[in-house]
Amino acid sequence: MNESAPAIDLRDIHKTYENGPLKVPVLHGLTFTIERGEYVAIMGPSGSGKSTLMNIIGCLDRPTSGTYVLDGVDVSRLDDNALAELRLRKLGFVFQGFNLLARTDALKNVALPLFYAGVPAKRRMQRAQLALEEVGIGDRGHHQPSQLSGGQQQRVAIARALINDPAVLLADEPTGNLDSHTSDDIMALFRRLHAGGRTIVMVTHDPNVARNAQRVIQLLDGLVVSDDIRQPAGHDL
Amino acid sequence: MMYVEEALAVLFGNKLRSLLTIVGLIIGVAAVIAIQVLGRGMAGAIDGLLGGMSDNSFVIFPNPQQRDVNAAAIKLVDLQTIRDEVPGIVDAVPVAGINDLVRNGHHEGRYRISPESAIPFNTLPVLYGRHIDQSDIDAAANVTVLQHDAYVRLFPEGGDPTGRSVYAGPNRFLVIGVLQAPKQGFLNVNFAGEVAIPWTTYVSRYLRGNTLFAARFVVADPSTIETTETAVIKQLRVMRDKPDLQYQSFDKSQLTGGINGVFNAMTLIVALIGAVSLLVAGIGIMNIMLVSVAERTREIGVRKAIGARRSQVLLQFFIEAALLCGIGCAIGWAIGLALGTAVDRFAIVKLAGTVPPLPLIETIVIAGAFAAVVTLAFGTYPAFRAASLDPIEALRYE
Repeated sequence: MNESAPAIDLRDIHKTYENGPLKVPVLHGLTFTIERGEYVAIMGPSGSGKSTLMNIIGCLDRPTSGTYVLDGVDVSRLDDNALAELRLRKLGFVFQGFNLLARTDALKNVALPLFYAGVPAKRRMQRAQLALEEVGIGDRGHHQPSQLSGGQQQRVAIARALINDPAVLLADEPTGNLDSHTSDDIMALFRRLHAGGRTIVMVTHDPNVARNAQRVIQLLDGLVVSDDIRQPAGHDL
Repeated sequence: MMYVEEALAVLFGNKLRSLLTIVGLIIGVAAVIAIQVLGRGMAGAIDGLLGGMSDNSFVIFPNPQQRDVNAAAIKLVDLQTIRDEVPGIVDAVPVAGINDLVRNGHHEGRYRISPESAIPFNTLPVLYGRHIDQSDIDAAANVTVLQHDAYVRLFPEGGDPTGRSVYAGPNRFLVIGVLQAPKQGFLNVNFAGEVAIPWTTYVSRYLRGNTLFAARFVVADPSTIETTETAVIKQLRVMRDKPDLQYQSFDKSQLTGGINGVFNAMTLIVALIGAVSLLVAGIGIMNIMLVSVAERTREIGVRKAIGARRSQVLLQFFIEAALLCGIGCAIGWAIGLALGTAVDRFAIVKLAGTVPPLPLIETIVIAGAFAAVVTLAFGTYPAFRAASLDPIEALRYE
C-alpha cells in the first residue's frame, strides 16, 4: 500500500490480560520494526509472550497500549470487522497444525480467503490452482487433506496464506508437526518465497528452524532481549 | 453459492445425525399438512353431501312439540304476507312433497314430486333443457324438471327428453329439463324431490287444504339469512298474535356449520400437537447446531484468522440451519401430502364421491412458514454463537 512504510512497525506495545481483578501483564513495551522483504524468526521460551505478540501482529488481538502500524495502516484502534478485513487482505497465516478444512479439497481450501473477499468462483479456482503450483503441488488440487501427507498439507496451507498476496506471511511453528526431512522442504520453500520478496514472520522455539531466518528476535518475559540480523543458513541456495 | 455447498457437505457428511435431527420436524409438519389436506377433503365431502342445496334459502317449520301446534301451522296465505312484510325476502314458497308413481310409457318408478321456484332449492346445473322459470310459476304450467336418477329410470334409452311427457296419476307434465347427477357417495342426502314442478302447479294439483308442512324463503344476500330467519319467525308470531309460538329453521350454513365445528376442533388439536412437536424439533435442531458449533470451534477460528467477518460466519451457520429445517419441512410436507391424499382416496371418496383438488399452494406456504419460523427461532442463536467466537480461543481449541 504505502511503498515507503515498513511492513510492521510496533511501538511500545503493552498487553495485559485481565482475569477478573487479576491483571496479568504479558508484553512490557515492545518496540521494533520489520521492513518489507525481511525474514524474521521470533523466538523465546514458553511464557515469553511470543504467542501474544503473534496474535497482535496477526490482528487477532489488540494491544492494551502502544501503536501497531501494519503496512501503513494503524491497526491499534480498529474494530473487529476492520481487523478481519486486514487479516484477509494483508496477512497470511500458516499454523503448526495446518488447519485445513476437512472434506474440502486442496483447491477449495486455498480459494477460501478469495471467497471471503468476494472473488467470483471461476476466478477463485484459477488463482488457487496457480497458488498450488507456486508451492509445488499443482497436481494435488482435488485431493482432500486426509489424502495428503503432512508436508503437502502444509504446502496447501501456505498456498492459502499466499492467495491474497499478503504484505506479511505469518507462520506459527510451521514445522512443528513435520519430520525433519519434510521440515527442510518447507524451510526451503520459505527461503524461496523470501528470495521472491515475501515478508515472513515466523514464531518458533527451534533454533534449527530459526536459523533459516535473516533476523532473529528473542523474547523473554515480554521484552525483546536480543535482535540479531545475520546471514541465514543456506541463503545462498 | 458456496455457503449452501459447504452446508450441504456438512449435513451430508453427517447423514444419520442430520436425519435424526429433523425427524421431529418431519413428523410435526407432516401432521399439520395432512390435517390441512383432510380439512379440504372434509369440506369437499360436506359440499358433496349437501349436493346442490341453495345457500341463500332457509326453511322454517313449526316445532311439532308445542301445545298450540295448530295455531303455529304455516298457511299458504302467510307466504304472501311475509314476502310483503319482511324486508330482504326475494321469494317464499311451500316446502312439500308427495310420493307418486311416475310413468313414461312402460317405464315407471315411485318418486317424490315437489314444488320448486324460479330460484331453485336444488341448484344443480341442468344436463338438458332448463330450470323452472318465473313464467312457469305464473302460469302454473304443467312442466317438470327431473333429477338425474329419475331421468335414467324413466328414459333408459338416454338422449334429450325435453319436449316429452311423464305422467303422475292423471297429471301429465312436460319435461323441460334434467339436472346433472349430484356428486354423491353412499350418503345420499336429497333435499328436493326427484320430480320438481312449479310450486303454483303443486299448490293447485296436490296441496290439500291451506296448511303447509314448511316454507322456504329466499334472500338476496346469504349473510342476511340469520337475521331474516328471526324476522320471519317474529312476523309469524305477530300474525297469530301469539308470542310463544315455536318454529325451527335450517339452512345450508347450519348444516355445514355443525360438521365444520367438529372438524375445526380437531384441526385445533392437531395444530397444537404440531406446534408442540415443532417446538421440540426446534430445540433438537438448536441442540445439534450448538454441538456442531462446538465441534467446529477450531474451523471457525481458522476461518476468522484467514479473514472471515462475523457476518460471514453467521451466515454460514444460519444457512446450515435453514437447509436442515428446509429439508425437514420439505420431507414432512411430502409425507403429509401423501397421508392426507391416502385418507382422501380411501375415506372421503366414499362419503363425497369425489376427491377435492390438493391444496398445494397453501401447504407449501405452511411448510415454508414452519421452516422459516423454526430456522429463525432456533438457528439464529447457534449461528450467533459461532460468529461471536474469539478467534484466538477458537484456534487454541482442541
